[in-house]
Amino acid sequence: MDLVLQAVINGLVSGALLAVPAIGFTAMFAVLRFPNFSVSGVATLGAFAGYQAYAVGFEVAGSLAVAFAVAGVVGLFLDRVAHLPLVKQGALPAAIASIASGLVLENLVRLGFGNDMRGYDRPIARDLHFGDIRINPQQTETMGVALAIMLVVFAALAFTRIGKAMRASADNPELAALKGIRPERVAMMASFVGMGLVGMGGMLLGLDSSIDPLTGARILLSIFGAAVLGGLGSAPGAVLGAFLIGIAEELSVLVVGSPYRAAVGFFAILIVLTVRPRGLLGERAF
Amino acid sequence: MQMIDLRMSRRAALLGGAAAVAAPSVGRAQAEPIKIATLTPLTGAGGSYGPVMAKVAAAVVEEVNAAGGVLGRKVVLVSEDDQTNPDAGVRAARKLIDVDKVVAIVGTWASSVTTAVAPLCWESKTFLCTVSGADSITQLPHQGFLVRTQPNTVLQITRTGAFLVSLGAKKIFTLVPQTPFAQSSIEIMNGVAKKAGGAHGGLIYDDKKTTYRTEVDQALRFAPDAILCAGYTPDTLVLLKDLYRAGYKGKIIGQGYAINQKLIEQVGQNEVVEGVYTYAPSTAEGSAALERVKKMSGLANPDPYTSQVYDHVNMVLMAIATAKQASGAAIKDNIRKVTQGSGKPVDNALDGLKAIAAGEKVDYAGASGPCDFDDKGDILDCKFRYEQIKAGKPVLVKIA
Repeated sequence: MDLVLQAVINGLVSGALLAVPAIGFTAMFAVLRFPNFSVSGVATLGAFAGYQAYAVGFEVAGSLAVAFAVAGVVGLFLDRVAHLPLVKQGALPAAIASIASGLVLENLVRLGFGNDMRGYDRPIARDLHFGDIRINPQQTETMGVALAIMLVVFAALAFTRIGKAMRASADNPELAALKGIRPERVAMMASFVGMGLVGMGGMLLGLDSSIDPLTGARILLSIFGAAVLGGLGSAPGAVLGAFLIGIAEELSVLVVGSPYRAAVGFFAILIVLTVRPRGLLGERAF
Repeated sequence: MQMIDLRMSRRAALLGGAAAVAAPSVGRAQAEPIKIATLTPLTGAGGSYGPVMAKVAAAVVEEVNAAGGVLGRKVVLVSEDDQTNPDAGVRAARKLIDVDKVVAIVGTWASSVTTAVAPLCWESKTFLCTVSGADSITQLPHQGFLVRTQPNTVLQITRTGAFLVSLGAKKIFTLVPQTPFAQSSIEIMNGVAKKAGGAHGGLIYDDKKTTYRTEVDQALRFAPDAILCAGYTPDTLVLLKDLYRAGYKGKIIGQGYAINQKLIEQVGQNEVVEGVYTYAPSTAEGSAALERVKKMSGLANPDPYTSQVYDHVNMVLMAIATAKQASGAAIKDNIRKVTQGSGKPVDNALDGLKAIAAGEKVDYAGASGPCDFDDKGDILDCKFRYEQIKAGKPVLVKIA
């Protein structure tokens, strides 16, 4: 039982980290209407941008801001140049193009930084023990940062003009345009913020482990899984999906062993989509 | 190819056909080069080893070409990246075999890549030299078209287990990623521990996870006094951090290729890796061949894989010279003639090729060891190097 509780706690930690890029992914889908798989490359880029900032003396918060900005700008650029021109022909060409641009980004990072793994130079702390349950202070801190980021995103979606505009556009683009919301601006904002979140997610995941050019590729399936599970296009759904995927992946270690982790994620998606084809929370943007 | 053919006009096709018929004669006139290839991981988990492996192979070829090549023919080395990934490895091997038409591929590193590439090689009668350790590889029906210079899992884990037992370990736990050597590692270590009167537990994990907290919890419930971390660098790094966080204070041992200087730098905190042991097939310390590898690689301490690839290229070229024919089958039939037996001892292809040209027999012993193979293609003997990390630096415990 302790082992199960511990696995659930571990799953909550990894779920919180996964939620940040999953929100970014799903927000972009809500507005731009195609699954942007270049998140793999952008997450890697964000992780390295944050790493670089951290190395020159920024604190974690400052480094996260750098990761957000760099990933956001590059993500926006890729959307403008490579993905959005293809969306008119359907979501699939754009999605395929995004796989390609993700690979390009990954290899550009490789060109600049090489294949070596890098670790954020953070001290590694021992866990705190509560009975048989272990909690790591750093991972708790990272989780807190992730939760704070989510809070800010939700507040922005709920209370700011641009947040409301994004929700309106996601809900009904034609109606939103009739109301004077400029779709171009909303799309650019979605690209920038969505990719920024993905970049921060890459850095958050790297904080506890290490980063290399494949960092983003390793988490791509989990991000996609979380977004689909919660309902593509739904930000709260992405959070819920991320926590569920995180917990399911950890619990699966106890039952079938972690090599089947990906299968467990897909199995969960399969069941949910069979019962609720639009995901757990449907498509509502907020 | 299909696409291009369809678009060709009949005239162009005719011209092309004529050229194709004429081309081999042109080639023959200039004595076609002998083509061999390296297929090493330039990217991916093995990305820190592949580039220098390819570099040393190229240096050997360059040296041989400068001395007149093999059988009077120039040797061309094609270098491809397997990305430490079976899919990419197969694509690259297809290109090497079908397009470049190489007679031998050397240096495949990850066991998963070698397992995927080997069938292409024996089907096309291309010779394959590998540094992968999984037992299953030499058990493939490779018809002799494969040798490996890396000790297999049985040899590696048996020696490692014996080493742990000699350190006083009674309860050993094996943590190993999903690889071709995962199951056999656990079974062999189980046997070693039980034979020494101890206990053993094991777990196979997914090397793409970003945290191993739950896996570590499971391992620690076994209350082990020694843990074997048999993964690669990225996952072992996360694993060691999580073991430290969990407060584990027993012995840890891992593969030298995973727990290396890069990992220590990455951890950035010496107490996390303090006292961790590593084991690795040892290079032939003190041999002249290893000195040459040092010069060619520019490294003071070349890793075993680089030494092994040096040996691969030397063996392949000498086997071709002995056979007086450049083909995979010729290498297959002659590789043991140049590596074992009672011939003149040589440690590089230059000396070997001269001796072979003079009609002498040779017995090659290289930078990785004696390079003697059994019928399955496994090496018969090799030394192991055990090190322990102290204050962030690996310190030699013993070579045995």
